[in-house]
Amino acid sequence: MRPLRLPDVGPFRRGFWRSPLRGPWLASMLSAALLPLVAVCALTGFVSHWAYDTDLGGNSVWGGATPGNGFDLYGLDWPTSPTWLYAVTQGLHVISGVAAIPILLAKLWTVIPKLFENPPALSPAHALERLSLVLLVGGSLFVFSTGVINIQLWYPFGFSFVPAHYYGAIVMVAALALHVGLKLPVMRAAFRERGVTRPLHEDLERTKPEPGLPGVVTSAPSNPAAPTLTRRALLGGVGAASAGLAVMTTGQVAGGPLADLAVLAPRGRGRGDGPNEFPVNKTFAAVNIERDKVGPDWRLLLHTPEERRAELTREALLAMDQVTAELPIACVEGWSTTQTWTGVRLRDLARLAGVPDASQMEARSMQPRGVLRAASLNRGQLMHPEALLALRVNGADLSLDHGYPARIIVPALPGVHCTKWVGKLVFA
Amino acid sequence: MWGRLREGYGAGPLHLLAVVATFAIAAYALERALELTSNPDRIVLWLGASIVAHDLILFPLYALLGVLVAGAFLRGDRRSRLRVAALNHVRVPALFSGVLLLVWYPLVAGPADRGFTRLTGLSKDVYLERWLLLSAALFAASAVVFVLRLPALRRAAGRPGRRPRRTA
Repeated sequence: MRPLRLPDVGPFRRGFWRSPLRGPWLASMLSAALLPLVAVCALTGFVSHWAYDTDLGGNSVWGGATPGNGFDLYGLDWPTSPTWLYAVTQGLHVISGVAAIPILLAKLWTVIPKLFENPPALSPAHALERLSLVLLVGGSLFVFSTGVINIQLWYPFGFSFVPAHYYGAIVMVAALALHVGLKLPVMRAAFRERGVTRPLHEDLERTKPEPGLPGVVTSAPSNPAAPTLTRRALLGGVGAASAGLAVMTTGQVAGGPLADLAVLAPRGRGRGDGPNEFPVNKTFAAVNIERDKVGPDWRLLLHTPEERRAELTREALLAMDQVTAELPIACVEGWSTTQTWTGVRLRDLARLAGVPDASQMEARSMQPRGVLRAASLNRGQLMHPEALLALRVNGADLSLDHGYPARIIVPALPGVHCTKWVGKLVFA
Repeated sequence: MWGRLREGYGAGPLHLLAVVATFAIAAYALERALELTSNPDRIVLWLGASIVAHDLILFPLYALLGVLVAGAFLRGDRRSRLRVAALNHVRVPALFSGVLLLVWYPLVAGPADRGFTRLTGLSKDVYLERWLLLSAALFAASAVVFVLRLPALRRAAGRPGRRPRRTA
């Protein structure tokens, strides 16, 4: 059976694509750069899901700790040490993801003639392979676009970000694994034929179109134009764009003086003044808590799942043993900031609630709405000597934006679980 | 039997197995995502729209822009080394500026506005300004480098192509 051919018009015409730089070597080189970045990004993304401890009551961001609620196969509690663990894993997630974008775009530019391959399918195997590319390209564009938009606090999707980004990543990773498996021989052939780095040494006169590979449909042009750019310059430009984005995002991960590098990244700037001058995830004004709820009438309620065990004023909390710890707060959006926090140990509060050997604790904010207004800690987090209900930061009272009257701060805990404006702690 | 499969299918059994496994995992993940999120139809829409947005809007747009700029520099017989170099000194800062705009589009061009300021307490105005400044600096730096390269480029342009250094 002869494969069906589309009319040779427009982009479906073989001679339509004229860039002399396209071809299997360029595609392979870009893939070799892209693959490690995507691998780091995907891995740290799944690690972040682990860090959310979604099997604990208050932590499911998509309705109940049901089976299949993400990959619960980790089974292990998220650790508390080293304290910068989440700052690093999530920082890497956002840095590698943002830095991959120029390379991904360059890769798509290189192989786009294959989107218009003619005939569109040579065999059932070829057709399925191309269909799997819809999953790969669609999945990648979906995951990268939702991620990069989310860190800029723009939510136009209309669907819940976390499950969509998470399951989108699973689609992408599955399709990528297949793609790597199928294309590794092509990459090997391209590197064997042209040398891994040899084309990087060619100047403009020696920049010639790639001949393509025998028996494989490639992106090499059949009717190439004269080159105006070397492959070295193209890859250098793409690499520099990627590096520039990496530096910007690193600025907001590292914080401190390096935050100035985050020229366009969203979290390069502090908010507030004096001891409270560091970035805020959500301001007090954004969460609609009534002002008198955080006034002198505020009480911390200590509960078990069944009943109330104690009620404490802020003065009473300040009269307890105070612990000071220098800990980072690391946001899922990939920025972090290390501050010196002072407050009461959570395990002291567990004792006060009459549950000294509690296995988990749920902190509830006074926020009236929002998926992350409550968060649960595992036993290791709860019992850590530096797991605090913080009342002060850098020697001053917390500002309202940073969670006054009291907030949770625990080593290596994802920032969104460091509940602010805490009203109630439930020990179980 | 494997021979018949290879003939009809176009690849070996391992290929078929890997492809089927991939589609199965993807179908499971999609099914979970659609089940767990509000407005599942918007996920399908976003998936389709992101492919269309890249393949049929973004790519044709920048490719066309590239062709127009290249055409302006290299029209007709005016294709010289010098002109090719000048073109590339426009292409490189344009690439950087374009990538920055694409990645930080919500902050630079404004759609993040309401949410961003309300949530972070920061004004968003600085980003457009910073992007414009950064772009201007990139184009200016590229122009300076081009001017510095001019003497060498002129010398090279004087030669009719690559000359062997020495005849053996």
